Amino acid sequence: MNEDSASRLEERSRRLFDDSVGSVDMRVRSRLTQARHAALEAAARPANHFLRFPLWTSAAGVTAAAVLGVAIWFGAPAGHHGMPVMETQSNLEDLDIVTASDESSGAPMEMLQDDIEFYDWAAAKTADAESGSVG
Amino acid sequence: MAQFATLSHARMAWDGPVRAPEDVALDQTRELDQFLAGIERRAFRMAQVKLRDPDDALDVVQDAMLKLARNYAAKPSNEWRPLFYRILENGIRDLQRRRAVRKRLMAWVPGPQEDPEGESQDPIDSVAAGGPDAPEQLMQAEAMNKLEVSLRELPARQREAFMLRNFEGLDVAETAVAMGCSEGSVKTHYSRAVHALREQLGEVW
Repeated sequence: MNEDSASRLEERSRRLFDDSVGSVDMRVRSRLTQARHAALEAAARPANHFLRFPLWTSAAGVTAAAVLGVAIWFGAPAGHHGMPVMETQSNLEDLDIVTASDESSGAPMEMLQDDIEFYDWAAAKTADAESGSVG
Repeated sequence: MAQFATLSHARMAWDGPVRAPEDVALDQTRELDQFLAGIERRAFRMAQVKLRDPDDALDVVQDAMLKLARNYAAKPSNEWRPLFYRILENGIRDLQRRRAVRKRLMAWVPGPQEDPEGESQDPIDSVAAGGPDAPEQLMQAEAMNKLEVSLRELPARQREAFMLRNFEGLDVAETAVAMGCSEGSVKTHYSRAVHALREQLGEVW
């Protein structure tokens, strides 16, 4: 093969390739333009360093958090894990008192009517004492 | 200012006002846009010749654009072209490997087999119907089809060297960067490719 033949082949193949580039259809051109814009956006976007951490760093973080959680749980003083026993009992007693219905007490208005004389007496005594102390 | 004997010397040493980083970034984006716009169709055709599938070719070109923009946009613009083609070649090779694996797997699956080689593609399909230039276009399409078939029969490195040097006009040093080999290897691959193509296509092509 002589030099002339080789250069003819090179020239013709180059021209054919250039022609084929010129005849790329509109669908492909449009998709290439979209791809270019996406690439330019990617270049303009600042790199998110947090997301670029390797996988092992996030695994190590999760492990460290788990170890810390266990240490806090078992390292805390006894009785702090939940409500103390005594406090629970006291609260239950209060609840009993509040909900208990005294047979003799009845409704509040009834109780007031039963002791109305006592309240009159107490009020009079108080008034006397106040006037005495003033006089 | 003792180091400047005269005012004219000082002016020569001063290389203009300091530019804001935003302006520099904007210029770089514009330059990258121009570079990619100038190369995208050629890269697509090169990938299509090798992969024989327009969608796969679009995917690898898009991927190469993204990788170049993300990783090498800050490099001097005269380095972009060989880097871009290196990324593109790697993408094409990866896709061809995946295809080979898929083909092996598909051989075990009963049913209609796909046509990954795209040999059934007819050059006449790519020529627009009608028009005064239709016979000329048909001849060109046929010649290009013959060239593509011959290129596919070349060893990968010879094909790569021929396409980068001849189609893309990369010089020997740029081709060596794009191919990841020495300049001597580029010359050898290219020379062998030209000889092989000449033999395959014949003197009349």
